[in-house]
Amino acid sequence: MLLEIENLVVRYGSIEALHGVSFTVDEGEVVTLIGANGAGKTTTLLSICRLPPPEAPRVAEGDIRFAGRSILAVEPHDVVRALKMALVPEGRRIFGNLTVEENLELATYARRGDPGVVKDLERVFQLFPRLRERRRQRSESLSGGEQQMLAVGRALMTGCRVLLLDEPSMGLAPVLKYEMFRALKRLNQEGVTILLVEQNAALALKFAHRGYVLDTGRIVAEGPTDHLLSNEEVKRAYLGG
Amino acid sequence: MLSTIVQNLLNALQWGSFYALIALGYSLVYGVLLLINFAHGDVFMVGAYIGFFVATFLLTQAAGLPGWVVLAVTIPATMALTAVVGVTLERVAYRPLRRKGANRLYVVITALMAGLILEHGNLALLGASRKKFPELINEVVYTVGGVSFTNLKIAVILAAFAVFVLLHFIVTRTKIGMAMRAISYDKFAVPLMGIPIDTVIVFTFILGSSMAGLAGVLFAMSYPVLEPYMGALIGWKAFIAAVVGGIGDIRGAFVGGFLLGAVEILVVAFFPSTFRDLIAFTVLLVILSFKPTGLFGVAKTTKI
Ligand SMILES: Nc1ncnc2c1ncn2[C@@H]1O[C@H](COP(=O)(O)OP(=O)(O)OP(=O)(O)O)[C@@H](O)[C@H]1O
Ligand SMILES: [Mg+2]
Repeated sequence: MLLEIENLVVRYGSIEALHGVSFTVDEGEVVTLIGANGAGKTTTLLSICRLPPPEAPRVAEGDIRFAGRSILAVEPHDVVRALKMALVPEGRRIFGNLTVEENLELATYARRGDPGVVKDLERVFQLFPRLRERRRQRSESLSGGEQQMLAVGRALMTGCRVLLLDEPSMGLAPVLKYEMFRALKRLNQEGVTILLVEQNAALALKFAHRGYVLDTGRIVAEGPTDHLLSNEEVKRAYLGG
Repeated sequence: MLSTIVQNLLNALQWGSFYALIALGYSLVYGVLLLINFAHGDVFMVGAYIGFFVATFLLTQAAGLPGWVVLAVTIPATMALTAVVGVTLERVAYRPLRRKGANRLYVVITALMAGLILEHGNLALLGASRKKFPELINEVVYTVGGVSFTNLKIAVILAAFAVFVLLHFIVTRTKIGMAMRAISYDKFAVPLMGIPIDTVIVFTFILGSSMAGLAGVLFAMSYPVLEPYMGALIGWKAFIAAVVGGIGDIRGAFVGGFLLGAVEILVVAFFPSTFRDLIAFTVLLVILSFKPTGLFGVAKTTKI
């Protein structure tokens, strides 16, 4: 198993946000984590990336394993460098004071002399041609959808094999949403493992192979996405009937 | 008339160079950490002392070395050693607080205390007597069309401009410079790019402190009397210059530094010298009241 989350309990200060969450992601899979506002989806991804408090929570119990080994002691930059997992964070968090090109280049910080960089840049521009057109533009001035593409492109430039996505469709017009998911699908076909967090459950369940439903810090349902799509509970609570 | 203007301009540039070189360190560290490193003026003082010891050591151990060789070794050695002081300060004083997520107030207080420790550590170690910086190069006075200047004065100005060009290049063109700008925009997302934040912070302290070390040597050569409190007032002034220029922006540090230098020189040209600081600070206060973010400052988007 590539990624195993086992009985994870995490806290922000004294507030417990996850109360024993377990799930797995296998190599090459698309797994989705769905749930309402405040369920703990972002919290889960931040924990996996080992980001420090106060923005991210502290792990109190349980374990996060990558290829069988606990990564609780791994530094956040090494999650990217050594484990090749990259996060597309909630709200994009691109560096607005840098140009599009600089954002992409910065993500290759740890890849000095890696010949894959040129290929990855070409791949990003192929997936998102708008980024090529706007590459000299300050990224603050991009539209929301373009910023989201940049956030995904930036994650790819780290040379990641696992992509963690936190609501990549947030705030996108339907056409762009479709474009984004088509790009993600292609990435997965090229071998990138994807863990996708979404509020838009219908979209996520259509796209992923397996899913987990998170409710106030607990997993309440799980299974192949076609099972979840026909699950009455899930339908009622997350698919609007 | 023209020669008077050029003369004052030249004096202002030289005097402003010291402010600019020091202001830079305040600005870089603020841009990356949002920390006002109040110990920085004292790092400049330590730099001057390091320069003194390196130069004296070379002069006594390798007697007969030409002065310019001693200088050519003293400058890089001092910059490197002063950088070590700055990085140590970061490690010992600031990093532990950052790890614990301490409130910014405590970090500022720590910076003030670190500065006082440097001053009084110096006093305790070396005593109150002043040190005389050795003369390494012959100061030559040139007079062209009624304007007189020395080789040293020109060197100081050139050094400041060279540093500006170098830093501008680093911040705008290199990956680590890019990382510095990225941190100033959004620290949270930087590790997600595979960038160790601490490396970038250490690099920032290296830049700031080594430039303070350079300023220390140049200052000690120009005004060769060293004492433990020499960094205090000039440090405060350089900090104010950085704020007036727009703290967090290296252009601001230079413009602010040269501006302060110019105002002081002009005041002295027309008023009794006791008016200097009063008028200089009043002018800066007025500038800030019109543009509180400083000349190059933007409300709150990007720093550096
Ligand atoms: N920095 C923080 N400090 C304290 N509590 C937090 C922090 N971030 C999140 N929480 C709390 O943790 C819980 C889970 O939040 P989280 O952001 O993970 O939810 P989410 O599933 O991502 O929701 P959304 O769909 O709105 O993004 C919430 O109760 C939230 O209030
Ligand atoms: Mg969220």
